[in-house]
Amino acid sequence: MSIFAAAFGFGLVSMSVIAIAAVGFTMQFGITNMINLAYGQVMISSAYVAYYINRAGITIWVGMIAGAFFGAAFSFLLNRLVYAPFQRKGTSYLGMVIVSLAVSLMIANLLLPIVGYFSVSYSEHAGSLVRLGDIVLTNNQIAIIALSVAVMLGIHALLRYTRLGKAMRATAANPTLARNCGIPTQRVIDMVWLITGALCGLAGVVAALNSDSFVISSGAGFLITALAAAVLGGAGQPYGAMIGAVIIGLVTELSAAAWSPEYKEVVAFGILVLVMVLRPQGLLAKRGALAAAG
Amino acid sequence: MNTYYAANLLIYAGVDIIAVLALNLQFGVSGIVNFSFIVFQAAGAYAAAVLSMPPHTAAEYSFQVYVGGYQLPFPIPWIGGALAGALLAIPVGLVVLRKLRSDYQAIALLVTSIIANTVINNARPFLNGAAGLALIPQPLQDQVDTYGDSYLYLYIGLTAVCVGLVWFLAARIVNSPYGRTLRAMREHELAATALGKNPVALKMTMFIVGGAIAGLSGAILVGFLTVWAPSTWLYPETIILFAALIVGGRGNNLGAILGALLVPVGFEEVTRLLIRMNIGPPNLIPALEWVAIGLFILGFLWFRPEGVRPEPRRVFEGSPDVEVVDRVRTA
Amino acid sequence: MLVAEDVHRHFEGMHAVDGVSLEVPRGQITGLIGPNGAGKSTFMAVVAGTLPASSGTILFEGEDITRLPTYRRARRGLVRTFQLPSEFARLTVLENLLVAAPQNRGDSLFGALMGKRFWIKDEERLVTEARGLLKRFGMSAKESDYAGLMSGGQKRLIEIMRALMLHPRCLLLDEPMSGVHPRVIEQIQHYLQSLRADGLTILMVEHELHLVEQLCDSVFVMAQGKLIGSGTMASLRRQREIVDAYLVG
Repeated sequence: MSIFAAAFGFGLVSMSVIAIAAVGFTMQFGITNMINLAYGQVMISSAYVAYYINRAGITIWVGMIAGAFFGAAFSFLLNRLVYAPFQRKGTSYLGMVIVSLAVSLMIANLLLPIVGYFSVSYSEHAGSLVRLGDIVLTNNQIAIIALSVAVMLGIHALLRYTRLGKAMRATAANPTLARNCGIPTQRVIDMVWLITGALCGLAGVVAALNSDSFVISSGAGFLITALAAAVLGGAGQPYGAMIGAVIIGLVTELSAAAWSPEYKEVVAFGILVLVMVLRPQGLLAKRGALAAAG
Repeated sequence: MNTYYAANLLIYAGVDIIAVLALNLQFGVSGIVNFSFIVFQAAGAYAAAVLSMPPHTAAEYSFQVYVGGYQLPFPIPWIGGALAGALLAIPVGLVVLRKLRSDYQAIALLVTSIIANTVINNARPFLNGAAGLALIPQPLQDQVDTYGDSYLYLYIGLTAVCVGLVWFLAARIVNSPYGRTLRAMREHELAATALGKNPVALKMTMFIVGGAIAGLSGAILVGFLTVWAPSTWLYPETIILFAALIVGGRGNNLGAILGALLVPVGFEEVTRLLIRMNIGPPNLIPALEWVAIGLFILGFLWFRPEGVRPEPRRVFEGSPDVEVVDRVRTA
Repeated sequence: MLVAEDVHRHFEGMHAVDGVSLEVPRGQITGLIGPNGAGKSTFMAVVAGTLPASSGTILFEGEDITRLPTYRRARRGLVRTFQLPSEFARLTVLENLLVAAPQNRGDSLFGALMGKRFWIKDEERLVTEARGLLKRFGMSAKESDYAGLMSGGQKRLIEIMRALMLHPRCLLLDEPMSGVHPRVIEQIQHYLQSLRADGLTILMVEHELHLVEQLCDSVFVMAQGKLIGSGTMASLRRQREIVDAYLVG
């Protein structure tokens, strides 16, 4: 049974990585109403920022912080310079999806000549092995899990217990009403882009660290797992995204162990289709933190 | 510019025109954001391939594995391609279009596109995985010599016939009362429903019709290329077609054709030209091409969101002086 | 004509419509009034099928339509309008009306593919019919303009005309007069009265009580999701608790 125990261990790591990415993505959607398909490219850009810092001989954990800051700044600017002007102009919802796809294509292809076509990886010792029964994980993997848990608790605290979190929920539920109630929605939205951008940057570095190597095109894969987890949990629902991440992370690794690693995406896709058929609005449709009644 | 190059250009133009016309029916007229459009083209291509190829146990084909292999003569593979696109549209449409909110539909279809590609890429026994299919027979290759220029003319002719057919069907749909109902649904789905229109049926129909046309375009393309692999139908290909439609003019068939000539054909050719002239490193040009396509989309959405040829305003002939008719069906 | 039996509609634990039973009599204009948030619009949406009922039954012409989707109810002659403008913005005014018309041979994929000659007769007949309506509402000059460019009041008119193109048996009007110029209100009023004379049944939500008084044969009052009274407007004005409910909200 130890192959399943090992797979369970990997599942824990992958769900931690996916959760950070998915929560950031789903909050962007839930609060700003923006399906930001450039999210994966911001992730991979941040991963490269961390890579250059790491290559200069600095530990990846510092690079990770830099990646988070870069992701925050990048996302903030992306909204201020591109998305917000289009939204103010009255571009339709689906027009905005196309805008973000165009932006995504541009980022990827502007980066290509800069960072090159060959895959790279961080130089960081995986750390010593830690055994918990049959589960064997490296120190780095445990650090990723711990980091993810801390981030999730932080998001929970932010949404539940802070003024900003309440303002975010109000803005998500009804921006006009929130503005009329004296909530500075513009500032709230700026904060949302900074926070979710930081999550996005962090997720990019963590995802890159967790994979053996990465290239620009890995960004699309990052986006898809985040999207899948977000859609699974009910788009716009942070807690739903967490649950989605747990399911996708575990199921892909367990099915890889049980069947064949080639089919793990197929299994993830199967679950997604099943959820779309049985619960079209996602697992946590109306009861998450950003729901109106919250 | 040799004949092969010109033929290549024309056939690509034909395939892109067919595809953008189909996308116009779905997105431009009906408002369905089909971000998995390219999957339907791929379905048509794969179907045409396995219908025309011999079984993979055949001597020359044993280096690849795939299902089917029926060695059927032209035009069955092309018809089969269209059919495959239509058939694939049924389950996808039933899952995505029936219950999901429209913004959600777009994401679900994008995810579908990427995962479908991953699945075909990894599941080798099905359609030879990442390596894709090769040595796909060309239409009529047993009857005519496929190496000469005359075969190129023949292929251009066959493509042109298909373009004409699709254009004819698309024009009839767009300019009919049915097309008007589709446009009404695009504008305000709830109101159209309250007027007795069944939006799920309308969308499903357009999904299937568009899927069939996309499948046909794939069949035409694969018959010319003789190879087909997952790397030829990545999701950005769908985005190029959307870009073409936005640039050309959503809801306008002529705009769709114009867009198809401007964006996929135009960009590809400029790129090829730049590469031939050895300007810049070879990998840089395609990358910058994508950047330019992105800028092009943003520019059009900002400055001219209705496109080069906007949807026409339909003015009816005749003066408004008519008698008041009794409107109420008394119970 | 139209009967609601113990209709409930819950959203996330909120009882927007909480056990409403009523009967809309045939050939009359019936008002539905109540303070903001009383559940009137939700009730209309449930009757029209835009929102599913949580429980209860809706009968139309004696048949249970509770499970029918909106478009099927519309085809049976139960047609609603919306509280917010819901014109087809990038269709012309005339096209907005034409879309609504049932029985156009060109309004199916098959008919469309058969070509213009197959459906032109239907189309011409409907254009004549639609122009008659436009004339009656004084909008003939606007027939070729995009509906999205019309004023708020004109959009209301478009919506009413559009509903009439379906030859409804029962119209559900959700605040048809809001945002409409007083002169146009008078027009609509006259027209609704002539429709009643032709035998059309109308259920309308309206805030302006004097309009309700002038137009409606009988009135239902809702508050907090429940039906709290019914009768003629004059009789309702005498009932204390109704007046209180309105004032207290």
